[in-house]
Amino acid sequence: MKTAIYGIGNILMGDDGIGPAVIHYLSSNGLLSNDVTLEDLGTPSLDLPNYLAGYDRVIFIDAVAANAPPGTIRLYSRAEIVATPPGIRISPHEPTINDALIVLDFAGGAPKDVVLVGIVPQTLVDGMTLSPAVAGAVPRAAAMVMGEVAKRYAA
Amino acid sequence: MTRVVIDPITRIEGHLRIDVEVDQGKINKAWASSTMFRGIERILLGRDPREAWLFTQRFCGVCTTVHALASVRAVEDALNLPIPINAQYIRNLILIAHALHDHIVHFYHLSALDWVDVTQVLKADPAKASSIAESLSDWPNNSTKEMAAVKMKVKGLVDSGQLGPFAHGYWGHPAMKLPPEVNLIAVAHYLQALEYQRYANQVVGMLGGKTPHIQNVAVGGVQNAINIDSSATLNVDRLYQMKSLLNKVVSFVQNVYVPDVCAVAGFYPDWFNYGSGVTNYLSVPDLPLDEGSTKYDLPGGFIPNGDLSKFHPITGQKDPYWRKAVTEDSEHAWYKSGGPLHPWKGETDPQFTDWKEDGKYSWVKAPRFEGQPAQVGPLANVLAGYAAGNPLMVKWTDAALGKISAIAKVKATPAMLHSTLGRHGARAVRTAVLSELAVKHWQLLTDNIVKGDSAIFNQPEFPKGEIEGVGFHEAPRGTLSHWVVIDNGAIKNYQAVVPTTWNASPRDRKGTPGPYEASLLGNPIADAAHPLEVLRTVHSFDPCMACAVHMFDPEGNNTAKVKVL
Repeated sequence: MKTAIYGIGNILMGDDGIGPAVIHYLSSNGLLSNDVTLEDLGTPSLDLPNYLAGYDRVIFIDAVAANAPPGTIRLYSRAEIVATPPGIRISPHEPTINDALIVLDFAGGAPKDVVLVGIVPQTLVDGMTLSPAVAGAVPRAAAMVMGEVAKRYAA
Repeated sequence: MTRVVIDPITRIEGHLRIDVEVDQGKINKAWASSTMFRGIERILLGRDPREAWLFTQRFCGVCTTVHALASVRAVEDALNLPIPINAQYIRNLILIAHALHDHIVHFYHLSALDWVDVTQVLKADPAKASSIAESLSDWPNNSTKEMAAVKMKVKGLVDSGQLGPFAHGYWGHPAMKLPPEVNLIAVAHYLQALEYQRYANQVVGMLGGKTPHIQNVAVGGVQNAINIDSSATLNVDRLYQMKSLLNKVVSFVQNVYVPDVCAVAGFYPDWFNYGSGVTNYLSVPDLPLDEGSTKYDLPGGFIPNGDLSKFHPITGQKDPYWRKAVTEDSEHAWYKSGGPLHPWKGETDPQFTDWKEDGKYSWVKAPRFEGQPAQVGPLANVLAGYAAGNPLMVKWTDAALGKISAIAKVKATPAMLHSTLGRHGARAVRTAVLSELAVKHWQLLTDNIVKGDSAIFNQPEFPKGEIEGVGFHEAPRGTLSHWVVIDNGAIKNYQAVVPTTWNASPRDRKGTPGPYEASLLGNPIADAAHPLEVLRTVHSFDPCMACAVHMFDPEGNNTAKVKVL
């Protein structure tokens, strides 16, 4: 079983960098075995299928536009992610995690086991620091990722 | 009169908004706006110029490598620092591989669905599709069996009641004209493109250390240790692995992508009549062939009013003609300074008003070349190559026009390239040219390494006082330039003038519209609620707008909305 953990978001845009920040936390604390791919993917859009194909399990960490206080962490299942059909695209930036999974479901090679650890951001303006509420969520989000990994290895 | 607004409505501010006014089925006014403030250059102020590229490649998730390379080129230009020839070839190969990947993805995964009606695939005869495809090229994956398998896949999707990746297409729109079999070929190649673009991306990863966000560049060269006998470095083994990946991509580009674009163009000859807009074209030379970047493999320059006889070449980053001509104007952009300002004097102080069609309406500034708007992108690059008589550009342009003429049964000429379809055709031509140059630059690098040269880096030294530099790159979406001012070894000003800023430019102080805005005028609109024709023209530029935020939206608002007012 090939497993990948991907942080998504832009480290230059405030709380959008939460995904990469959790990846950095996981890697600098050496919390995962070497056979797990751990990567800060930035904002990959149309390239995202390239990083999913061939993996069995993928855990995403991304900022989410949920109606909840900043720093709230929510877990989304694969079914919830792909429930949103893709819409009209103007630029290659718009495709997101759901598009990438939908493309690979059609083409073949999509990971079957996918979860998204989503963190609600506070500010998305240029800057390289996380707001306090979101910075405080980093270890909790990392713990949630570890919990998801442990669940799968135990199963 | 109908007003149509296409706006990606998300909780975050972002992306590209297009407003058009439609009168009697045709667009008579258009505005392009970016709805997101993009001030990330400010993060660079005060930093060490040697690390700027690590930040600039985070500007955009689609074009990471191009911002890394433009940045190191800008700092090297300020220092007058040549780089070893191995470093040039390695960077060139990365840039070519990235462009091959990017152009393939743009056509198949962003634009093709503007022209291809997936629901028509169910009416296609796989044997007939196979014979049409085989008449266009000798690509081995066009068999009846392959076409039948793809048709079954699409049938499965349609039967499930969900159109999966194609759910956002304008199916059954009256502007869709391809025969069922050509739609089937296009979907088959959509699937194959997913595989082949990945090989190009792997080459970027092999040289860059990883993708996304390459790790191998440095101000002064690259960090790829070279030793032909060591398994830990760039060696003969890795060079040949790369060659085999490149060969696959080259074959796909020449046997699939180019013929497919010619076929689509051949079935939509009307679209050579729409979308010209601004016909001043700007491109810059790229793929340097010497240590000091004075000779380039691909030419660039300025073409005023679509007149190739007036082509003014740009000789390099040091060319005063280039260095003086670029300014940015904020008359209609949400910034304090009105400008026009040269990028070294550029300012990024936001001043937001509401969206005002006669006032400020975009976060994109209006870049101007000698005071005029300019279209950038593969079309500008191909026209420059054609005007300069570059043998590869001439060869592939003539070949594509010949193929289109045969399918459309009308004589396709270079003058028809000033159009929506011309931009797609030119992108395919440029990709074919780059596919040949991929092999060439691989050979140049391999020969130089085998000869015993392993130099990769010249140490940069920063003088006291102020210096200025510009780094340019002819990126997949067109001319990219990074302008840096360095004071006592620290960044004092930094401005990135990106390709989409040229093309998505708002009006300037003279009221002259930018390329997107001008290109939409006169476009037909069959159905205002489904403005497929607007997407065709805007997509043909390959817009890359947000360059910033990525957020998953569980409420499903990640997509563009169309409003008819």
